[in-house]
Amino acid sequence: MCLSTVYKNTLAPEAVVMKNVMTIQCRDGVVILTDLMERQVAIEGTLEMANLVDGVAIVKEAEV
Amino acid sequence: MHLDHDHVMGGAHDHEHVHEHTPDHTHDVVAHTHEHAHTHQHDHEHPHSHDHLHDSGEVHDHSHGCAGECSGCQGGCEHTPMEELTALMKYMAGHNAAHARELAQLAAQLDQAGNHTAYEQVMAAVSDFEKGNMRLSVVLASLDVK
Repeated sequence: MCLSTVYKNTLAPEAVVMKNVMTIQCRDGVVILTDLMERQVAIEGTLEMANLVDGVAIVKEAEV
Repeated sequence: MHLDHDHVMGGAHDHEHVHEHTPDHTHDVVAHTHEHAHTHQHDHEHPHSHDHLHDSGEVHDHSHGCAGECSGCQGGCEHTPMEELTALMKYMAGHNAAHARELAQLAAQLDQAGNHTAYEQVMAAVSDFEKGNMRLSVVLASLDVK
């Protein structure tokens, strides 16, 4: 399955931000996730890692 | 702060919520940032807890208090759980078909490399794969009908 699950800061079940993510865009310090249903989530931060084999990615939230 | 607003996903609704944000602002010509939390009421009604991207580009977290449970919800979600399942099934069926084609291409490369036995085995696997996809397509068709 090549849709991804995106986590915030850590790879833990409670840190899941969005499942079935189709696209990840990084723009002006904001990571924008879009899922299969075209819903969007935006997180201020950076893409820390994306494992495209396992279909997981971690977004590191910006520190305030 | 935004008492009335539209989300990117649309849908006006009504309920109370709490959120935190760290706005940059100015007091007595001194610009600074600090955290604060506040409660207010605004037009809202959708059932998940997640980050939002507002038209302004502002991002914040807030909860809609239903833990993503959609059954029995009268809220303003755009998609029903069955619509989501169907979309996922469509994606999977298409995706599997793409993988079957990729496997067939790998098999052809094995054949070109002189390993005809491996080619035949992989093509047999591709055939099995396609049978599975066919079964998925039948299920999908039944979901579309309902």
